[in-house]
Amino acid sequence: MILAENVCYTYRNGNNVLKNISFEIKKGEFIAIIGSNGSGKTTLLKHFNGLLKPTGGKMLVNGMDTRKTKTSRLAKYVGFLFQNPDHQIFCSTVYDEIAFGLKNISTRREDIRQRVKKAAEKLGLESLLDSNPLTLSKGQRQRVAFASILALETDIIVLDEPTKGQDYIESIKIMDTVRELNEQGKTIIMVTHDMELAALYAKRIIVLRNGTIHLDGRTESVMASPEILASSGLKPPQIYMLSYMFRKYGLFWNVHTVEDMFRQLLAHLEGSKNVSIG
Amino acid sequence: MSAFVEYIPGNSIFHRLNPITKILWTFSVMIVCFLTENPLAVLSVFIVNLVIAATGNIIRQMYPILRGLLVFCTILSLCQVFFIKEGTVVLYALPWFRLGPVTDRGIRLCVLISLRMLSTASTVPILLMTTPMSDIITAMTEKLRLPYKYSLMLTIALKFIPSFIDEMNQVMQAQMSRGYNSDTKNPFRKFLIIIPLAIPLLITSIQKSRLLAISMEVRGFGSGKRSCYKDCSMGNADYIAIIIMASFVLAGIAAALIT
Repeated sequence: MILAENVCYTYRNGNNVLKNISFEIKKGEFIAIIGSNGSGKTTLLKHFNGLLKPTGGKMLVNGMDTRKTKTSRLAKYVGFLFQNPDHQIFCSTVYDEIAFGLKNISTRREDIRQRVKKAAEKLGLESLLDSNPLTLSKGQRQRVAFASILALETDIIVLDEPTKGQDYIESIKIMDTVRELNEQGKTIIMVTHDMELAALYAKRIIVLRNGTIHLDGRTESVMASPEILASSGLKPPQIYMLSYMFRKYGLFWNVHTVEDMFRQLLAHLEGSKNVSIG
Repeated sequence: MSAFVEYIPGNSIFHRLNPITKILWTFSVMIVCFLTENPLAVLSVFIVNLVIAATGNIIRQMYPILRGLLVFCTILSLCQVFFIKEGTVVLYALPWFRLGPVTDRGIRLCVLISLRMLSTASTVPILLMTTPMSDIITAMTEKLRLPYKYSLMLTIALKFIPSFIDEMNQVMQAQMSRGYNSDTKNPFRKFLIIIPLAIPLLITSIQKSRLLAISMEVRGFGSGKRSCYKDCSMGNADYIAIIIMASFVLAGIAAALIT
């Protein structure tokens, strides 16, 4: 679905941000791109819908070369949620804001109404469709922005820190929606600083370091290598750290959730000392 | 990203001069250029400007500005040259019909105007590229007794331009990602398509300026008398430069009075 071949990107000021990046993303994947600040995450993300064109190598999205395709055309295939919702909100009602993208890709009127409603429902905005988006809270504005992307019903959804500035409950709500979309067959690519969320939701993780791919693999295997992550300035969630430390003593293989850890620990204690808990 | 004139750090003689001296320099260039009618004199002023830019290591950044000025000068000259009837006709725009006569005085005057424009307009970017904005402000408030609030307003306005351009790019990208297409030839449509860009830009700018005001206030801005940690006293080089500039200006005045 997305194919990157030796993608390089140098900003006009000579800042070489991406160096020879190659990977393939298949339909239905759920990918988190992680890395420290300045590692090139957002720059890479902007290549997926042609906002930035590779200065070397090539990027194919649905077989289209992004260098030759306009972003406004790629918008039919790739939805892109930005970090700051205020960069896009300009309509006087939430409804119009969500419908903006649909009008751009010339959707039929009845379809627009239907799709706006559907997107709003998914993000809990039904009651706010007539309010002015600028009077909403930051979290709500972020959801409006997300809904306007959802309404486009693209096969690929790209998210740049979708949970930034959201509290735990809001984050989980957004991520559950994203997971649901993924289960419906949509390809999800997100950048995040939140290792917990990346571990909890993504199926594959790409670690960027200084504009190169440092690690690319299944979430469990990436998170189970704290030493490699540390050299990228990252730290896996605590449960992975704990499991990693136990593993050094030959205990508890492949534990990724607190529940699993508890169960294994319990079994181990019962087995060795005949202690029963509970 | 920004295509705007910005301070470029350096340690040339011109970099080290006092901002006031440099401001005086821009004025003396202007006075000299408009006093003399001799294109060669104006050309030499322009060459001196280029030498200053070269010693300040900013010639590369000056290049797009000079190119822009040159284009502007050419257009201005083309508009002007056909309307000067004095002097002898040297050529015609359409020789077969003897239409569009161009006289020697016309050419001379256009060259003069263009050179004046190049020399005077190139001083401002040189000033801004070799002097940190904060130094200009300090000098203006300390030496020229300009109220601090006004000079600060000027700095902030100038500082906002690059961040404004960045912000504009962000907004543009956000709308393009939603299928928004910004290239159209139709002027009416062009007017309409500005709305999705202008409103977010306006809103984020207001948010930004509010934040800035608050952050300045919590750090005690406007609480009373200010002190200043930068030393903006004049050095020997400044006095020498001022004497040189003054003599050029006086020579210019004298020459103008004689002719």
